Amino acid sequence: MRKCTLPIFLALMFLALTAPAPAWAAPNPKLLIPEFSGLAQKATESVSITLDPALLAMAGRFLDGNDPQDAATKEVIKGLRGIYVRSYTFDKDAAYQQADIEAVRSQLSAPGWNRLVETHSRKTGANVDIYIMIDNNQAIGLALIASEPRQFTIVNIIGAIDLDKLHKLEGQFGVPKLDIDLSKAPAQGAQKQRRDQ
Amino acid sequence: MTQEIESRVSAALRPVAPREGFSQKLLARVMAEQPVRPKPRRLFSEGAKPLAWWLTASLAACLVLAVGVQQHLQQQRLRQSGLEARREVVEALRMTSQKLNLAYEAVKNQSTSLADEKSGV
Repeated sequence: MRKCTLPIFLALMFLALTAPAPAWAAPNPKLLIPEFSGLAQKATESVSITLDPALLAMAGRFLDGNDPQDAATKEVIKGLRGIYVRSYTFDKDAAYQQADIEAVRSQLSAPGWNRLVETHSRKTGANVDIYIMIDNNQAIGLALIASEPRQFTIVNIIGAIDLDKLHKLEGQFGVPKLDIDLSKAPAQGAQKQRRDQ
Repeated sequence: MTQEIESRVSAALRPVAPREGFSQKLLARVMAEQPVRPKPRRLFSEGAKPLAWWLTASLAACLVLAVGVQQHLQQQRLRQSGLEARREVVEALRMTSQKLNLAYEAVKNQSTSLADEKSGV
């Protein structure tokens, strides 16, 4: 019996050391975005972009470093591990259910995610929520949910997002300066909210 | 009469031993009459050298061509995928920036209205 104990102990140690880290050990910024196949059929325009690390690296090789816009884009995607975008535009109001978005929004209440900005426009009926996941004072994930009466967009960016570099895209893609200070990022539950008239 | 015919037929058909040397003569004749088959020409024999050379060269050329075409197609596929990935990255960042702009505009409007309220406008 004693002879068996040591190999079993060693095997267990080996398994413990080589097993992947459990989900709770590190926050995971990747959202499970539904397929929305039903909505895609109803939509007049739909965009579904899935860029994994391999595709991002490949895209990086096809960005011209001498072109200012390409160079800025290259800088932004350098530390990224994934970009996922789903956007659907409809020809009439209320063509989609809020429940469709809630499936994604509910994931953002998980530990690690902080709501950075929540905007609601009564004029246009547009809502934009921006969430960020921070680990060791570094943004490792960004989630954006924008819903308008005839359109909704979900963006999930994974990886070391350098917001300064994103700011540098200002004028290239029209990315505005949001004056986000990561060191003062809001804690979970203490979210910044903005509502316009 | 019938008996006589029968006896003559049976006498004619009786087994007779072959003459001496019959088998050897027969074999010799068969061998002599067999047509001479031309020897198959070996691919790498002395006379077939040019043929073998051309065949080898053609095979090698086909192989090189096939590998070249394959590589070219693979490069094209890779380039297409790369350009598609690049287009998707640009599109994804454009959409993100568009929505960030939307949030920015909303925040700016709120700041302006708050400032107006404070100044009593």
